[in-house]
Amino acid sequence: MLTDRTFLWLAQVFYAASCVVTLRRLRAGGGGTNLQRTNYVVMAAGFALHTVFLYLRGQALGRCPLTNLFETQAFVAWAAVLFFLLIGPSYRVSFLGAFTAPLVLVICLAALISPVDVVRAEPLVRSGWIEFHAAIAILAYGAFALAFVTGAMYLLQERQLKTRRLTSSFLLLPSIEQLDVIHFRLLIMGFTMLTVAMIGGVISYRIVGHWTTPKIIWASSVWVLYGALVLARGLWTLRGRKVAVASMTSFVLMLVGFWGVNLLQP
Amino acid sequence: MNLIVIGLNHRSAPVEVRERLAFAKSNLAEAHGLLLAATPLRESAILSTCNRVEIYALADSAADAVPSVRRFLHEHHKLSDPVDAYLYEHRDDGCIQHLFEVACGLDSMVLGETEILGQVKEAYSAAQEAGATGAVLNRLFQKAFAAAKHIRSTTAITRGSTSVGTVAVDLAEKIFGKLGKCSVMVIGTGEISAATARALRSRGAGTILVCSRTHERAETLAVELQGRAISYEQWASEFSAVDIVISSTAAPHPIITKDKLIPLMKARRLRPLFLIDIAVPRDIERACSELESVYLYDIDDLQVIARENMAARERERVACQALIAQHVRRFVNWLENNRGALEERYRSRTANATLSSPAHTPAS
Repeated sequence: MLTDRTFLWLAQVFYAASCVVTLRRLRAGGGGTNLQRTNYVVMAAGFALHTVFLYLRGQALGRCPLTNLFETQAFVAWAAVLFFLLIGPSYRVSFLGAFTAPLVLVICLAALISPVDVVRAEPLVRSGWIEFHAAIAILAYGAFALAFVTGAMYLLQERQLKTRRLTSSFLLLPSIEQLDVIHFRLLIMGFTMLTVAMIGGVISYRIVGHWTTPKIIWASSVWVLYGALVLARGLWTLRGRKVAVASMTSFVLMLVGFWGVNLLQP
Repeated sequence: MNLIVIGLNHRSAPVEVRERLAFAKSNLAEAHGLLLAATPLRESAILSTCNRVEIYALADSAADAVPSVRRFLHEHHKLSDPVDAYLYEHRDDGCIQHLFEVACGLDSMVLGETEILGQVKEAYSAAQEAGATGAVLNRLFQKAFAAAKHIRSTTAITRGSTSVGTVAVDLAEKIFGKLGKCSVMVIGTGEISAATARALRSRGAGTILVCSRTHERAETLAVELQGRAISYEQWASEFSAVDIVISSTAAPHPIITKDKLIPLMKARRLRPLFLIDIAVPRDIERACSELESVYLYDIDDLQVIARENMAARERERVACQALIAQHVRRFVNWLENNRGALEERYRSRTANATLSSPAHTPAS
């Protein structure tokens, strides 16, 4: 039966295909920039199907599709692909897709396979502020997801340079300085959106007042964590490898906390 | 009708022989005229680089044409002793394959180098301007360029640098990205460090500082690199503003140590520092690479990478040859399908030529 989930599955086929393209590029030893373009087109196709899924789900719900963990995860992954499609060509980050596709694939497949796509028992409080808050927050997580991706790329490239052992990914990966700069920009973008989302959350709390304590603690911790990271990088206290490690750790902590908060206290 | 190539290259002949057969760029047009007048060739193109001299040609009969081309080479260059032993010759499929391999850099001293393609293009346009090429060579060269483009984009034959200097540039670009904002310091003016600095300059490196125990040598290199010479005593004070250091002094002990670097890195706010140590014994303490954001490579590291890249290119050779075989087959098919028409065209031209003066105009 053709449900909205089918489109999300189809999107995964394209993300998986993108991973295959990457493996081929690595085997070709970096020969062929046409594969880079192929990869972008494949990712864009996956993104289109992904968008169809969110649209259909949104239509069915009559609201922003963020009512359960499944939808939220799919939305975060969608935001990550969105940032990839925007940032990849404009900053000419070669090989960004190679790292984005696997992450997105993992997040989506985890959502598709696990039994988290359940209809909420009690109806959700309807409020424009809540939906606004949630949507902006998801976009922020998408930016953080892509920061995670560029962090991973940074660590890989930095390691090759440091140990003097160059693999076939060496010529494909961008320079560490470029990765460091893009990483920082993504952190700023993510943090700015998260701050807006937090303000939206505070306003909606004053209007509707439905937030639970664990969620407030989790959200504030994420905000403080990323805020500290942006500040440290901005003041040059941290740079390069340490920023990458800190950002990747923050993202994992954020995901774990997110699942924890949502599963323990729906 | 046969395609022929007669020539020599770095493998078949030593440089003393190659230089005697070389054609100067300035009189290529004249050489083409003389070649076509002295031989029964229909079309010709002369490729003359420092590693090869080759004449590509189309003739009614290879058996008739080859001796006359060989004679032309000897007479044109006024050779007193025969160089026939150094010359190789390929015909038809062999000639097509040879040109395609040359254009792709498969026949070059440094496998996969790309400079040769530009040289082949120049040779072709010189021949074309001299009116020496026709329907067959025009197409042959166009197809050689297409084959080279195809092979470059689908295989890794041109990938990875194969000399110490260019490997250093690759590394610099993977650390800093564009090199325009990078300043380079050259300490000691050896042959390899100059080559490395030149490679960095050619890829857009910003300021270049040169210092050497003998100030004149620093001045000379600085002028060549459009940089600035500084005195040997000054280097330490300039060091904090530098991103790339190429060191090749004759100092018996390391001149850059981890302890000296620690405060400097703090002042740099952890902006990366790329240290290239070309000296033996080494100038830079190995422990420096333990510091965050410091990337240290010595001459052996760079050579190992260059060799690995060379080996990787060598592994791509088979894939390239398979692709070239496809391109050769396509050209051979075209030639076979059009042989009748081409031969007819040349026959009628010969008939006309007996009436007027011989003219070799591009047929396309």
